[in-house]
Amino acid sequence: MRKLLQLVFGDLRNVASVAVALLLALSVSRLAPAAAGAALVLLLIAAAAAQAL
Amino acid sequence: MTAAQWGGASAVFLASAVEWVEAFTIVLAVALTIGWRRAMGAAMAGLGVVAALVAVTGAGLEAAQADIAWIRAGIGIFLLLFGLRWYVKAIRRYSGRTALHDEAREFAETREQLERAEGRAAWVVAFKGVLLEGLEVWLLVVALGHTLSYVTAAASAAASLAVVIAAGLALRAPLTRVPENTLKYLVACAILSFGSFWSIGGLAGEQAVWPLGDVSLLLLFAAYAVAGRVIAWRSRAPAAADAGARA
Repeated sequence: MRKLLQLVFGDLRNVASVAVALLLALSVSRLAPAAAGAALVLLLIAAAAAQAL
Repeated sequence: MTAAQWGGASAVFLASAVEWVEAFTIVLAVALTIGWRRAMGAAMAGLGVVAALVAVTGAGLEAAQADIAWIRAGIGIFLLLFGLRWYVKAIRRYSGRTALHDEAREFAETREQLERAEGRAAWVVAFKGVLLEGLEVWLLVVALGHTLSYVTAAASAAASLAVVIAAGLALRAPLTRVPENTLKYLVACAILSFGSFWSIGGLAGEQAVWPLGDVSLLLLFAAYAVAGRVIAWRSRAPAAADAGARA
């Protein structure tokens, strides 16, 4: 069960990275919808860089 | 099929191939210890469980018929969670901060483990290996199946299994030559691209967020692929950087 949950969600840092990136991108979408996608991508790349180090 | 559907089917095919290669390596090691017949029996039992899960989950999704935007958002978020994990792992391997996944070492370790075990334990090793790798494939099929076409996603996964078995039997050697990290990296980029496209598109409106439509997927893939290599290059471990400087 634990292995299955890890397969689906990854560790806590992974879940937090995705949650924060999505919430910030959603905030951007209210001001400038067309920029929300780019914001999400940049935030996820930044999260990957932080996790990779 | 549209370009997006072809892309989705390709993503399922490649992602499944990565898992099947790992499963096949374990089954191969077990087969040399307890024989092909028992090892294949264990593998088929594992695959049977995975196939049952695929069938049951497919029926559940068809019956739900929920709002497609919410389904896409949910699937997109799952793909982001799954893809980001793979993406980070592949970057760390490129940068030398995590050892490259070594199929030969896995093969040797599995055999050494089996030599001390009973035949029943060996059967369980093969069953568990196929089941766990198959579960990852199942998650991908479930994630991409509804938006792509459940039958197409399942068929892509099954086709990749057939290709891996055919390739493995043709080579008749451990699959150490498959550049696993490269494959995983490209798959992670594809999964992240679909996850980004569907998650924020489902939550905030696809047409508003992605005015370029499906073409955005190609741009997303390129962005993740380039950025990941830059991150890997910038975060090279000291030993890897020294090796690079000497090379």
